[in-house]
Amino acid sequence: MDSDNEEIPELVEADLKPVPVTIVTGFLGSGKTTLLNYILTEQHSKKIAVILNEFGEGSAVEKSLTVGQDGELFEEWLELRNGCLCCSVKDNGVKAIENLMQKRGKFDYILLETTGLADPGPIASIFWLDSDLGSSVFLDGIITVVDAKYGLKNREITSDTEAAINAAERQIALADLLILNKADLTNEAELNGLKEAVRQLNGASDIVTSQRCRVDLDKILDLKAYSGNGFSRLRSLMDDVSKLDGLSHIDSSINTVTFEWSTPLSEDVINLFAQRILWENALHPAAIIRMKGLIKAKENGGGDDDGGAAFFMLQGVYEMYDLQPVPGQFLDDADAAAACRFIIIGRGVKKDEAMDLLRICVSDSSSSAR
Amino acid sequence: MSETRICESPGCKAESKLQCPTCVKLGINGSYFCTQDCFKSNWKTHKVLHKLVQGKDESSSASQDSSDPFTPWPFFKFSGKLRPYQLSGTRTVPAHIPRPDYADHFKGIPVSEQKEKNSHQIKVLSDEEIEEMRVACKLGREVLDEAAKTLDIGVTTDEVDRVVHEACIERNCYPSPLNYYQFPKSCCTSINEVICHGIPDHRPLQEGDICNVDVTVYHRGFHGDLNETFFIGNVSDSAKKLVNVTWECLKKSMDAVKPGEKYREIGNVIQKHAQANNFSVVRSYCGHGINQLFHTAPSVPHYAKNKAIGIMKPGHCFTIEPMISEGSWRDEMWPDNWTAVTIDGMLSAQFEHTLLVTDDGVEVLTERPGNPLPHFLSP
Repeated sequence: MDSDNEEIPELVEADLKPVPVTIVTGFLGSGKTTLLNYILTEQHSKKIAVILNEFGEGSAVEKSLTVGQDGELFEEWLELRNGCLCCSVKDNGVKAIENLMQKRGKFDYILLETTGLADPGPIASIFWLDSDLGSSVFLDGIITVVDAKYGLKNREITSDTEAAINAAERQIALADLLILNKADLTNEAELNGLKEAVRQLNGASDIVTSQRCRVDLDKILDLKAYSGNGFSRLRSLMDDVSKLDGLSHIDSSINTVTFEWSTPLSEDVINLFAQRILWENALHPAAIIRMKGLIKAKENGGGDDDGGAAFFMLQGVYEMYDLQPVPGQFLDDADAAAACRFIIIGRGVKKDEAMDLLRICVSDSSSSAR
Repeated sequence: MSETRICESPGCKAESKLQCPTCVKLGINGSYFCTQDCFKSNWKTHKVLHKLVQGKDESSSASQDSSDPFTPWPFFKFSGKLRPYQLSGTRTVPAHIPRPDYADHFKGIPVSEQKEKNSHQIKVLSDEEIEEMRVACKLGREVLDEAAKTLDIGVTTDEVDRVVHEACIERNCYPSPLNYYQFPKSCCTSINEVICHGIPDHRPLQEGDICNVDVTVYHRGFHGDLNETFFIGNVSDSAKKLVNVTWECLKKSMDAVKPGEKYREIGNVIQKHAQANNFSVVRSYCGHGINQLFHTAPSVPHYAKNKAIGIMKPGHCFTIEPMISEGSWRDEMWPDNWTAVTIDGMLSAQFEHTLLVTDDGVEVLTERPGNPLPHFLSP
């Protein structure tokens, strides 16, 4: 037998940081898959997993994912354990990924590729976990890949073109980042026209262009769109808000509405506002797809254990929303321009209705506080 | 919210951010320790893990109790003292009793639930539907009360399951857990460190155990869901405290139920009370909407600061079922894919009711008639 002389090693710091999950959506022909393959093979310093999202059939027991590491590709397997699906806070797919990483080590990034017509919203909700769950994954952002040349013109010969167009617009409306792919196949005028069009659909998303399905990873990973750490990004997005007026109209019912509020708002008011819009359809018949906000918090005695954070970031995807305090290190000198800024993306959203509702929420909140 | 784990030295509950580097190298997950000293003191037993993974382990069943010959998972590291026992054969339900869709699905999949998987819409029940829910919940309560009479030292959880199964049939109910995602039995029995979904087996209950029995019945198309934790013989003071506080968590959260209240508030109420008593709230499992579907919207987490969607309205039916643990909130699963246990092997207790939101508050549909107290307080 081996002698028992293994020396006691020094403990090392455990790597407990969660892994970002990015949802990548886009139509057949957008070049999404080629782009993902490029990311997998070209990113030598990171271990990246790409999973094709087909979760939810309930009958699959195993699911493969492709991992790129040091330029090599290999396959891993996710065990989808179907027991205990009831009353479980985490989706099966999430648990399967956590289990895999526990056994085989963490990835640096996980890219979840959705199938062509899929609505990325519900998938995002699955990965948008409460931070107190201490999951080893977190939702980093939604990326939509758009064919730069054909853009919103649906090239697919499908039987249900209207549904396809709706799905495409929805995918764009839900994006935190838009990649205009294959820009090398367009000219500048076409590209600018497309940019304006998608801006109208989604004024709350960054836009990058890619040539030949290649893109700089630094631009598309670590979006931090769903945590307070994404504050700076959102803030610079909001800075572009004013540039949205006067854009050419495309024929779509989805639009982006933005507005500012000049006084700080309390958490209660923001929660009331978000709940009335997202859960009670207060802006009916408008249907809300995304909602984002940068809020300067009202100074009050609070009693909140967040210690009276000065700024909050509001994020909403369909009915799911969250209000995250922004960590101190991201706050430079408070800008006096506007205390709060909001972006609402949806069908038939009207700016004055939204502002009226906020006004009502402010007065309802203060009258109930008496 | 900082990331930490629990130190793995037996008996040590300290938070740890350090890991054994050999385990990291060998791909052994976990192996978190609070300090180098604590690690050193546990070194002798810990290094066995390294040998095990490298195929050098001689003592194969070190973790199994030698008096129990049933070792379905020889290399599984149990977090506590409880061990699985063998299961009895599958029980059947007579054909004349209406069955939910998953009862006859070869994988136990509730197709009706899966269809609504992405919806956050909460059903508002009609008066007729509410009446059916009242009946189903009343029958579920009767079945649990029957199970309560059976619990005693020496009785196996399989025996409890048999009683539950037969009590359901007597009342023309299908036992909802049976074949739900292939769950093998008619109720869940969760002992000591088992948080929930324990599978009834041939293990006799022991003096000092705390045992939760979770019953759900399906009657004329509607489900009624409830559970209680029971004392088996004399239990320790700390167990008593845990069970009491868990019950209080449920009670306080039910007091908060009224139209206009946010579902996400329930977790705030529960966690506040649990934390005040130095207990933790299990986070992986939540309360759920219930009606013609066993589990449906809304999802009702029991921990604070959650993103639950929805506001209570009259006609909503849902459960609150807090699981409160002595030690860490974290859970892990046995290889049977069902049994959830605390990662530190410490005790966990639970109570559950099915609730109806009324015009001015709440109606507890699964309450004992004329007695709002659970059995452990009012036998």
